[in-house]
Amino acid sequence: MTAALTLDGLAVDFSGFRAVDGVSMAVEQGELRVLLGANGAGKTTLMDLISGKTRATEGKVLVQGRDVTGLREHRIARAGVGRKFQIPSVFSGLTVRQNLEVAQSKRPSVWSNLRFALGMSEKARLAEVLELIGLGAEAEREAGLLSHGQTQWLELGMLMIQDASVILLDEPTAGMTQGETAKTAEIINRLKGRHTLLVVEHDMAFVRDIAERITVLHLGRVLAEGSVAFIENHPEVKAAYLGKQGIA
Amino acid sequence: MAGLSNYRFWAYAGLAVLLLALPLVGDEFWLNRVAKYLCYGMLGAAVALTWGYAGVLNLGQGLFFGIGAYAMAMSLKLQSYTSLQQGSDTPVPDFMLWNAQPGAPTDLCCITPGSWIWLPFQWQWTGVIVAVILPAVLAGIMGRIIFGQRISGVFVSIITLALVLLVRLVVTDAQPLTNGFNGLTDLGWLTVFSHEFDPYAKGTYYLVAVALIAVLAAARILVATRAGTILQATRDSDTRALYLGYDVPAYQTFFFAVSAAIAGLAGMLYVIVSEFASPSFLELSFSITMVVWAAVGGRGSILGAAVGAILINMIEARVSETEALVEAWKAIIGILFVVTVIYLPKGLSGLAHDGMARLRARRPSFQLKEEAGQ
Amino acid sequence: MVDILFIGLSLSSILLLVALGLAVTYGAMGIINMAHGEMVMIGAYTAVMANIWLGLGLIAAIPLAFAVTALAGLAIERLVVRRLYGRLLDTLLATWGIAILLQQAIRLEFGLSFFGIHIAGLGSGLQNVPVPGALQGTVQILGHDFNAYRIFIVAMTLILAAATWAVMYRTALGMKVRAIIRNPQMAAACGIDVQRTNALTFALGSGLAGVAGVLMAGFKTVAPDMGATLVVDGFMVVVTGGVGSLLGTVAASGLLGEFNALVAMATNDILGRAAVFAVVIGVILLKPAGLFTFKGR
Repeated sequence: MTAALTLDGLAVDFSGFRAVDGVSMAVEQGELRVLLGANGAGKTTLMDLISGKTRATEGKVLVQGRDVTGLREHRIARAGVGRKFQIPSVFSGLTVRQNLEVAQSKRPSVWSNLRFALGMSEKARLAEVLELIGLGAEAEREAGLLSHGQTQWLELGMLMIQDASVILLDEPTAGMTQGETAKTAEIINRLKGRHTLLVVEHDMAFVRDIAERITVLHLGRVLAEGSVAFIENHPEVKAAYLGKQGIA
Repeated sequence: MAGLSNYRFWAYAGLAVLLLALPLVGDEFWLNRVAKYLCYGMLGAAVALTWGYAGVLNLGQGLFFGIGAYAMAMSLKLQSYTSLQQGSDTPVPDFMLWNAQPGAPTDLCCITPGSWIWLPFQWQWTGVIVAVILPAVLAGIMGRIIFGQRISGVFVSIITLALVLLVRLVVTDAQPLTNGFNGLTDLGWLTVFSHEFDPYAKGTYYLVAVALIAVLAAARILVATRAGTILQATRDSDTRALYLGYDVPAYQTFFFAVSAAIAGLAGMLYVIVSEFASPSFLELSFSITMVVWAAVGGRGSILGAAVGAILINMIEARVSETEALVEAWKAIIGILFVVTVIYLPKGLSGLAHDGMARLRARRPSFQLKEEAGQ
Repeated sequence: MVDILFIGLSLSSILLLVALGLAVTYGAMGIINMAHGEMVMIGAYTAVMANIWLGLGLIAAIPLAFAVTALAGLAIERLVVRRLYGRLLDTLLATWGIAILLQQAIRLEFGLSFFGIHIAGLGSGLQNVPVPGALQGTVQILGHDFNAYRIFIVAMTLILAAATWAVMYRTALGMKVRAIIRNPQMAAACGIDVQRTNALTFALGSGLAGVAGVLMAGFKTVAPDMGATLVVDGFMVVVTGGVGSLLGTVAASGLLGEFNALVAMATNDILGRAAVFAVVIGVILLKPAGLFTFKGR
């Protein structure tokens, strides 16, 4: 079985500075992979390369075995890559329901969207996702009026309903309260299996809640890869990233 | 939601009935004037479609109106026996004769350099078709280039503005083809199945009124489709839409082109009613004035923007009857605009929406009181 | 050829005169002030009024016009622009409303014409300001005759550009402005009074427009609508040069002015202007950040 997401020697050169420098990794179907690394290790740049925001200068990105290197952002999205940014971005002028409807559209061209209603199965799926992210009561509210946590969940919901096979999450718990973080972990755990996830996160308690395997980046390269316990006890990781205390 | 779309439907229906009933109360001269304002109403709707729904402020909408106007005017000029120089199979418009080199053949194909471009317009439907299609095609090309480069916000406004001014200069410079600053006057009438659309007949008013109603309904339905929702999504966050797999420039371009086609149609009808086309349609102030109408009526509402355009022009016409107030009116428009932008960013329709929302919010409490009273 | 280049140079200097103030308000503050042309117009009318009522010459009117338009700019910023920070397109529209209002204020003599009161120098008629004797006629340089007043304008423009540069890069105000461009929140956190600085910057930009107006009054008829086309030209220059780059504005005005003159010589004045618009559109499409910007964050 092909891996859901394969990176092969991926590198980008910003006029001499190699933010990502030959990263190879494979994320299996339904796996949740956490990316760790200090500031400047190249985590967000790696996500930019996968989602097409930045063009790779070397290497390849394969999604479900299909080469998507160098495609434009919306093409990569259609190939099955969903992405959540660090700063939550939803459609603030639309209602929560409309946000999900927009995310749900299977056929993205203008012409195929010159129609009104959703199909029955689409409606059922929308209701299901609304429940899952706990925004059932807010369905008709403008997304711009939601709280920070609710906005993050809405964005997660949009990724769910978009049905991307590979989901990239950049610090999904940034700025959240403890309660909100716990709920986010719950939502992300439900995404596992159905979607393949690549998550950048700093909050180690949260990482332990969700992670199966961890890849540690350092100065644009893969430093180590393995289970939570393996990474926690990895001497080089400790030296390079965690300092002497280990994972707090 | 049902209640909301309900009162919206009645607002549209109300306007339609009102427009169709106007001939009962006014004379032909007044109706002719109102018909012009209805064309402006279409422009208001066209502006709202791009500005309110796509977040794209086109400061050169006059370009599309102008193209529509000139295309129709070219055809109608060639229908006007009083302004054609007879004596050949393809009679030429009077101004071409004045601008021609001595000894040039009195033939539309070659009297002035490039005059052959007028040849297809001998058939009046060329003007009608070009008036709507050319703006849409041009806007499609412009949109593909501008939005494809991910240019947004003020830069789109500056490009569209520069383009309309550029075309205005070229049109006024091409005197032998366009009659320059004077524009095209002394036009014939549109003839459909041997019915002549006399600008001062009720039939012509109905033509414009029905066209406006159709345009408003079509535009409203268009923004209510999924594509319309997706367009509004691109307005709120184009990156989010992009990462959901939408070709954002394609959506922006599509609606930009629709808006251009509406403006072209408005220009075409305006010429039928007013019997002239002039480079003043391409002036910056006209394009910004359209934005004023839409802003006052409500940029987020197709109907509101159209009604804003019609109302402002009706009031202006009334005020302008007193000569001393003509200049004062412009100052009032200036103040009105500043006040609207600062205090009423959603315009009159926003005010109406909020009013309706408040009414509906109060209704349940009425029922509660009644129940409590029983 | 020298003559053509000189015409281009004097077109450039006019573009730069208008664009300088915009480079300050738009480049630094991100405010699209459509009433900028009307600030030029008010500056020109200040010269007209100073001549009629105070007997002041063109040169003496310059500081006066700067003061009048700077105060007008301050008032506009306080009353309108301040309420619209962060709403770029709305600022554009609101200031356009102000532009109309100002034009009508001059035309209607501040409304006094309704009461039959007329003020010499105002109203919808055209006005002219005499050029000082020393600046009339021509000057001969290297065997070519040059219009003395045009040379004066080119020189004044360069002085103003240098002064603007000095204010932006050599004074405390300029440093605050540049800090605000980079990061308004951080600037505020460092104790910079952002509101006050913005108001002063807007006043400075408007004052520069006023000076431009006085200089223009020397060779152009003064009329209430003289500013309308200027503001468009000014924006074209600032955008072409690159927003936020004063040097870019200077370079772009030179480029567009000379280009205008060359095309106008080859064809006619109308197409010369049209060519400038075409260049601007091309620049925005190909290099949206402007020709002379350096990539920054």
